Parts: sequence; structure tokens; C-alpha cells
Amino acid sequence: MTAEAHPSILVIDDEVQIRRLMRFALEGGNYRVYEAENGQLGLGEAAAVQMDGVVLDLGLPDMDGTAVVRRLREWTKVPILILSVRSTEDDKISALDAGADDYLTKPFSTGELLARLRALLRRAQPAAESSVVSFGEIEVDLTARLVRRGGAEVKLTTKEYALLRLLVQHRGRVITHRQILRELWGPHAEESTHYLRVQMTHLRKKLEPVPQQPRHLKTESGIGYRLVEN
Amino acid sequence: MASSLAVPWLAAHVEIFPPSAAERDVLDGNLALARELGAQVVLTHARDIPSALVRIASEHQATLIVVGKPSKPGLMDRITQKRSLVDRLMAIGGTVDICVVPARTAGPPNDTLRRRPSPYGAWSEFLLAGGVVTAVTAVGLMLPESYYQSLGLIYLLGVILLSLRVGRGALLFAAVLGGSIWDYIFIPPHFKFQVTSLQDGLLVGTYFVVALVSGQFAARIRAQAVNERLREERATALFHLTRVLAEKQTFKDAIAAALRQANEIFSAETSLFLAAEPSGALAPHGGAAPPTDKEMAAAEWAFRNKQSAGRFTDMPLESSSTYVPLLYVDRSVGALGLTTATALTPAQRDLLEAFARQLAVIVEREYLRNASEKGKLLAESEKLHRALLDSVSHELRTPLAVITASLEHLDEAAGRGGLVGEMKTAARRLNRLVANLLDQTRLESGALRPKLEWCDPVDLVNAAIEDARDALAGRPLDVSVPEDLPLIRADFALTEQALANLLLNAALHTPPGTAISVGAGLDGTGSQAFITVADRGPGLAPAIRERLFMKFARGDAARAGGLGLGLSIARGFVMAQGGTIAAEDNPGGGARFAIYLPHAAAQPSLVE
Repeated sequence: MTAEAHPSILVIDDEVQIRRLMRFALEGGNYRVYEAENGQLGLGEAAAVQMDGVVLDLGLPDMDGTAVVRRLREWTKVPILILSVRSTEDDKISALDAGADDYLTKPFSTGELLARLRALLRRAQPAAESSVVSFGEIEVDLTARLVRRGGAEVKLTTKEYALLRLLVQHRGRVITHRQILRELWGPHAEESTHYLRVQMTHLRKKLEPVPQQPRHLKTESGIGYRLVEN
Repeated sequence: MASSLAVPWLAAHVEIFPPSAAERDVLDGNLALARELGAQVVLTHARDIPSALVRIASEHQATLIVVGKPSKPGLMDRITQKRSLVDRLMAIGGTVDICVVPARTAGPPNDTLRRRPSPYGAWSEFLLAGGVVTAVTAVGLMLPESYYQSLGLIYLLGVILLSLRVGRGALLFAAVLGGSIWDYIFIPPHFKFQVTSLQDGLLVGTYFVVALVSGQFAARIRAQAVNERLREERATALFHLTRVLAEKQTFKDAIAAALRQANEIFSAETSLFLAAEPSGALAPHGGAAPPTDKEMAAAEWAFRNKQSAGRFTDMPLESSSTYVPLLYVDRSVGALGLTTATALTPAQRDLLEAFARQLAVIVEREYLRNASEKGKLLAESEKLHRALLDSVSHELRTPLAVITASLEHLDEAAGRGGLVGEMKTAARRLNRLVANLLDQTRLESGALRPKLEWCDPVDLVNAAIEDARDALAGRPLDVSVPEDLPLIRADFALTEQALANLLLNAALHTPPGTAISVGAGLDGTGSQAFITVADRGPGLAPAIRERLFMKFARGDAARAGGLGLGLSIARGFVMAQGGTIAAEDNPGGGARFAIYLPHAAAQPSLVE
């Protein structure tokens, strides 16, 4: 599969400097790069070329970034990484809830960018997924529904396990409060973030070496959570 | 009875003849009492009480009719075999239940209500009747004596002509007077109330029967005509009002037209009082001269209590006008004042209330229009602010992003060059500055909308430390957040940023390598949650303490650099969530900053 050797990424950003920077960074990371300078062109380009991922700036001149995500999601499951600035938390959340897979806040490091993309593209290839995932001293066997810490089994409640499984399936990527709440508690609980906070505290106590300063079960300020593997 | 059943009830008044003034007073009193007791009062004009009652009941979906038990039938009733109201109601009542309660025999209200309204007309009618009879008599005196039989027909003609103008009483009077004079003067034997021939007897008998029957008919027709006219007036007035209200483009015109119409219909002086906003203070409408305190008090009372007040009401308040509240659904939006010489009839009062309701609808419409315009304006201005902020933010951060990312590559290419490190520090600082300026703008533009949710203090502290990681490098950090600390209600992002700013501030103003400690907990009463950042630096100079949280306030000689926005932003973010921020001396040296957030003892329900 050629895509595996040279995955292609579509960069949609109106700033020529950012596009050049992306091309430089991504080509250095062995990606093939396509560019589009606004939302309309980006949507056209996305339909025309075979791509493995999209990097989308939320501040496009012609269209709302969330609208671009929605249009893309109408026909493709291609991973989408959004670029945003700090003052636009709400836009970020709405783009993520609309189907974007992760975000990066400007200014960002290219190392971070490549790491995020790697995590996104891995998900897109489920064949490579193993049913046992490990991070730190934790091992999660998704088939057997078993969690071990340093070899010893950890007892988790149903909700704790469901939360952990969701994070493991999205590992390396952010997952919003709303997404977790909808998945675990149903659509009526989308605003009840306190359920989530309490479960997360329990989970950290059981899995983190120092629960007060989690290394793996990270909080994404105001947005959601992310499982960091190393 | 209705209140014990807790059901809405109606009080029905069926008007057959216009009541006299004295009866009207009693009637008004009764209906007012009914209103006070929570009834909806229905007035109708009809010939037949039972059928009118049944019609009202079905129109208002009433299920029970309550009537007083009839008193003993009078002599006339017995002769005419007249059935009581109750009997007739039962006969035509259909599906409606009928409940008969004993009437208070001596109670004037019941008594009066049951009495038929007086059918007798005014004195002028009697004068007219007398005049006509006198005229006919004069004509009779001029005729030859033998014409006396025809004269009877002329008397009858007079009576029938009179029936077009006068009421039943005057007509009866004219018929009897005419008949008597005819018999006394003209029918032989003269000057005796006596009839000798059978022919004359038949004539006189027929005369009386025809006169009485035609009088009765005439009176009925007249009464109906009067009722029709009243009803038509009411309908026309309301129709005109709705048309006027619909036609007028502006609120002011509509109100002015409505008041003009009210003046005409009630032949009174009207005044309008409106509250500038729902539940606001009442003020005369349209810059009218403020009335006396007494008038104002009456209007205010009507407005507040949603009941009529002023003259001719149960709450006179020494006012010279009657005030009715403008009610929209169950809300009072103003009061309408009416200065009349006499009390209003129940029909007029109903009309006035209908008027007030119509006015209330347009007032309410105006409120809504104002509110929506205000909202639109606010939303527009917010949108503009946001768009501007977003674009500035984008413009400033894009070059920074390019620089930061490029430096990384330079770093890799050139090894750990000192100059590249300097550039990186500069870029970070610039980024922080831009962020602060944008945050300050966001605060001042009022575009900040805190989203309160349940937050884990541990999470908050960690996120803030993560945020300030670069600045805190090389310092011992002491974090003590009790494990059993409950969730607190806050906007996560804003609180985290405020806390990060406190950490950065501590890092900037204390010597490198000194410890910084972060703590959290609940205060003694449990009504506030706090997060503290304490350092072992030089502490707070009294001179700076005052201005600490002010915009562009900078520490001693600006040794640390920066614009002096960090603490101001922290305070803004905390205050936007209803919290406070404080600076104090750290026991044992240094400064301590604390964020206090309101804390409710009740934790969120975790029942899932």
C-alpha cells in the first residue's frame, strides 16, 4: 500500500506561510502534501485527490471551519486535525463535536504536529490495531476486558472500564466531554460533566502512579481528555 | 361552593329590561362581589332566562348551574300556571347538572336580583301619554255626539301611536285614561262609568284588550331594540378598536387612537399609565402631565393588584377617576383611567375591561418588540467584537506560529545553539504578551461568557501548572490539594488561565530556584472554595499592594518585564465567574495570592 509509505495530507489554510511551513514539516515527516487556501477549494481538493488526512485551519476567510468539517463528514471518515488559536475554545469544541478528530493550538511545535498526525492515521487503519494496549505500567486487554497494572489485575467498575476503553480506542487523540458523556451516559447527559469528573478521579486513583499529577489520563483544559501513551 | 370544589365559575346576568338606577346599584354590587370571589361575569340580553342560562353554560363549557330555590309562587303565577325558573331549566337543561340552593328570603341581594326589572318608563312618557289622550278628547268634544263609537277607534289609534314612543307603563296609563274618559264623557249615559248597550260593552271590552295587547307587544319590541342597540354599540366599539389598533403603524399612534375612541364611547376623559418595562414603575403615558398623588396612587393600586380601583369601585382611594389594570394573560402592564360623572353600567364596565385587554395586547407587543431589538443590537455588537478579536488574534499568532515552528528546525539543524535558544525564549515571551493583550481586550469588550460546570480542583491545578511549565522550570513546586476535595463550580478554561497567570506572576517576581506552593480547599464555612499560589520571594511592597490587580500595574522597577496585565486578567476571569481574588503576605515570608470561588454545599447528584 503506497499510502502507508507516503500518506498524503491535505492542508487547508489561508496563510501561505503556514502552508509552506506545513509542507516543510510534513514532507520532512515523509508525507505527501496537498494545499488549499480556502474552504471551498479545500472541499474540492478533498474530493479530487486520494488523501489520508486533513489539516484544517479554523479561521478561514470564506467558511466557518466547523462547516468545512461537517461537509467533509458527509462523505468521508478521513482523519481531520484542526488548527486554532487559544481564544476560540468554543469553535474548537464545536468543530470536534462536528467530527474533527483532534486539534492543535497555534503556535505549535512541528514535533507535536507529526505526533498528532501519527496518532490520527493509526486509527484510520484498524487492521493494525492490537486488542492489547499498554501505557506506562498499565495493560488493557480489550478482548478479555482485563486491566493489569504491573501485571496485577485492577478491578474497575463498569463505568470506569467503559471510560477507559473509550480513551484507549481514541488514544493519542482528544475526546470531548460531550462525546464521552453521550457514549457512556446517553444523549440526555451531555451537560452533566460532573459524572465524568468523578469517574475520571476514580480511574486516576486506580491507574496513575501519582493520581494528583496524571501522566497518561490527561485533562485537555475546557475541552475533554486525552490518553497519552508515554 | 366553587372555591370548595376549586373550579372556575361564572356569574350570569340575563338582562330582560334595562334596570332602574337603584336596581343597577344592587346589581353592580352583586356582580362586583361575584368578580371578587373569582367569577367570570357574563352579561347577556335575552327574553328567556332559562334558555339564556343554558346557552351561556354550553358556550363556557360549564357543567353545573346553581340557582336559588324559588320563593312561593305569587298569585299571578298561580293564575297563569307559570312554571318556576328551576322547572324550566330542568326541562331544557340537557346535559348540564342543575343545583338548587335555598335562597335567603330576606336577603336584599338575592331578592333584588330575582325581581324583574321595572318596565315602567320615565315621567315624560306619562306626560306625553296624557297629552295624547287630552288631544283625542278635545277632538271628541268637537265631534257630533253620535260619533262616540268611532271616537273609541281614535283613542285606540292614539294608544297604538303612543306605543311607538313610550314604555309599557305610560301606555297602560294612556289606555286606561283614554278608555275611562271615553266611557265617562262620550258613551251614553254621559258622565257615568256605565255601559248600557251590549254593542257599547263589546266596543269598550275590545278597546281594552287591543290597547293592552298592543302595548305589551310594543314594549317587548322596544326593549329588544334597546338591547340590540346596546349590543351593537359594544360590538362596534370593539371592532373599531381592533381595526384602529391594527391600522396604526406606530405604538404611539395606536395608543392615541385607542384613547380617543375610549373618550368617545364612554363620554369620559381617559388617561393611560404604563410601566416602562415589565414589573417596572408606573408612569403617565406619552408625557402627559403627572396627575395628583391620589390619582397616581389609585392607578398604581390597580396596576399592582390587578383589580379596578378609584371612584365607583370597592377601592375608592379618594380618587376622582376609575382605574382598570391592563392585563396581559396574568401580567399587569399598566392602568387605564376613566373620569366619568356617573358609575359605569355593567355592560360598560365589561366593555372597558375588553378595551383594557386590547390595550394590554399592544403594550405587550411593544415590550416584545423593544426587547427583541435590544437583543439584536447586543448580538450584533458582540458578533462584531468577536470577529475583530478573532481576526486580530489570527493575524498576530500566525507569524508567531511560523517563527516558533521554524526555530525548532533551526535548532535541529544548528545543534543547541545559544542564539536559537534566545530566539525561542523571545518568541515565547512575545506569544505570552499577545495572549495577554487579547485576553485583556476580551475582558474589556464584555464578550466573556463564563460556562460554569463542575470541575475537579486537581485537574485545574495540573492544567495550570502544565500551562506555566516553561516559566516554572527549575523550581521546587509544592502542590497540596486534599484528595477528598469536592468538585467546584467554575469555568474550567478561565479559572485555569487565571491560576496559570498567578503561577507566572510568582515565577517572574521571585528569584530563580525558590519554591512555589499551590494549595486548594474550602474555607471555614464551606461557602467558598479557594486555590492559592504562595511564593518565598520578597513579598508585597505596601506601595504596590493597592494597584496590584490594576491594568498595566507593574512590580518594582519592572525588573521582571511584562506589561502588567497578568494579574488584571486573572482578576477579570475570576470575577466574571462571581469569584474574588486576593493578595496577602505568606506566613514565613513571600506573597500569597488566592482565588476564591463561590461554593454550594450541595454537590451534583451522581445518580446515573
